[in-house]
Amino acid sequence: MSAVSQTPLKKIIISLVFVVLGCLLILQFINRPVIENPPVTGDLQAPQEVKAILKRACYDCHSNESNIRWYDKIAPAYWKVAEDVKKGREGLNFSVWSAMAKPEQAAKLWEAVNQIQAGAMPIKSYQIVHPGTKVSATDLLILRNYLSGTVTSKLADTSKTNALDIQYDKWAKGAEAPKTNLPVALNGIEFIPDYKNWQVVTTSDRFDNNSLRVVFGNDIAIKAIKKNHINPWPNGAIFAKVAWDRLKDANGNVKTGAFKQVEYMIKNDKKYASTAGWGFARFKTPKMLPYGKTRLFATECVNCHRPMKNNDFVFTMPVKH
Amino acid sequence: MKAIYILFPVLVLLAAACREQPDEKQLINKEASLPEDFNFSKLGLKVLSSSVNEKQNTMSTIYGNDLALNTAKAGTPVQAGEVLAMITWKQKKDEHWFGAKIPGNLQTVEMIRTSPDAQKSAKVDYQRYEGKKLTLKQDTTGNDKNIRYIFEQHPSVMP
Repeated sequence: MSAVSQTPLKKIIISLVFVVLGCLLILQFINRPVIENPPVTGDLQAPQEVKAILKRACYDCHSNESNIRWYDKIAPAYWKVAEDVKKGREGLNFSVWSAMAKPEQAAKLWEAVNQIQAGAMPIKSYQIVHPGTKVSATDLLILRNYLSGTVTSKLADTSKTNALDIQYDKWAKGAEAPKTNLPVALNGIEFIPDYKNWQVVTTSDRFDNNSLRVVFGNDIAIKAIKKNHINPWPNGAIFAKVAWDRLKDANGNVKTGAFKQVEYMIKNDKKYASTAGWGFARFKTPKMLPYGKTRLFATECVNCHRPMKNNDFVFTMPVKH
Repeated sequence: MKAIYILFPVLVLLAAACREQPDEKQLINKEASLPEDFNFSKLGLKVLSSSVNEKQNTMSTIYGNDLALNTAKAGTPVQAGEVLAMITWKQKKDEHWFGAKIPGNLQTVEMIRTSPDAQKSAKVDYQRYEGKKLTLKQDTTGNDKNIRYIFEQHPSVMP
């Protein structure tokens, strides 16, 4: 290349750099979100080594103690940081931990550790920019051991056996879930009374929240399992996951107690595109009361299922019958 | 040198693509699955109850036909024409959820069929299939106890 042709090229590059820098500078002043740290009203209580890991790996987005570094504050990256903090606090905020009921706290913590174990959290892009937030295998073991230690495998107490007896009595005498005027979840999904006549996809023993579960599948789901066509699942496939109390006797025999809930996942990649292609709904107690306070309750479902995004958001590993 | 600028993103994309979408067969719980030629699903049985034995580290599901379900729910004596099945698995850790155990190796399938009997309310026929291949067990010791256990189980509440 001759010196004559290089000069204009250089000029172009230099002016381009200035234009880009100028644009970046302007970006810093437009649409600038504010990340505030509201007061910590009831922080998570956990052993120091556990809390240290969570503080390091989670608290930037999941607490009111977000530590925003100077390099996080450069737009456009700053916009994503602000969005992550906003969404992070909405999903889980360790600074208002004590506002949650005990079972809800436990569920959140098990979910958090599962998100970490599956590699879904901390978010990859965040980890690359903040290498110190990585959760090592040793860290994960500390978290898992802590959770395992919180599980008390107690024998069934009278409140639980009574709850079952009352339910069972009514049910055996013919009390059934509504068959007309079906309960409807806020996202429009109706309770499906036929779930109990479906085939089994799997069972599950949940020691994290003291429940036994059976996952049922409708015909489309069962056929898909037979043909190994389960990633993605075909439209029309439906799962119904039933949960009962876990009642254990002195011999270590565990039976199902009171019916707690039935949860549905209905596959339709168009209709439910905004919730990962699945319609989620949960109906609680034999009255089948729809779960969720707002239409957006299914975001909670999707967030928890997100680590399974390579498995079409399904945790269940089907057992062929 | 320039090639690396093109190659690098391509390689990153390829690596990402390889991690996507695990093989569908890997998502089936194979060790817990029943042999296809056993044709269990063709019986069309429904779930009656589910249980865990912590000492044995096993989990079981009992299935039944409509008659068996109704008799169990009503708590009435055994009738002719009932079909019940109990499948038992060793438990294993759920690799997708820390906090759950799911069926592992298939251990037994126990089948009960009842038919009319002149003396009793029904004649009970019991078979026990064992192991991954579900081979029919010939030894009948313990059968009475096993039959009693299956009939004694209350159905799980499914409103």
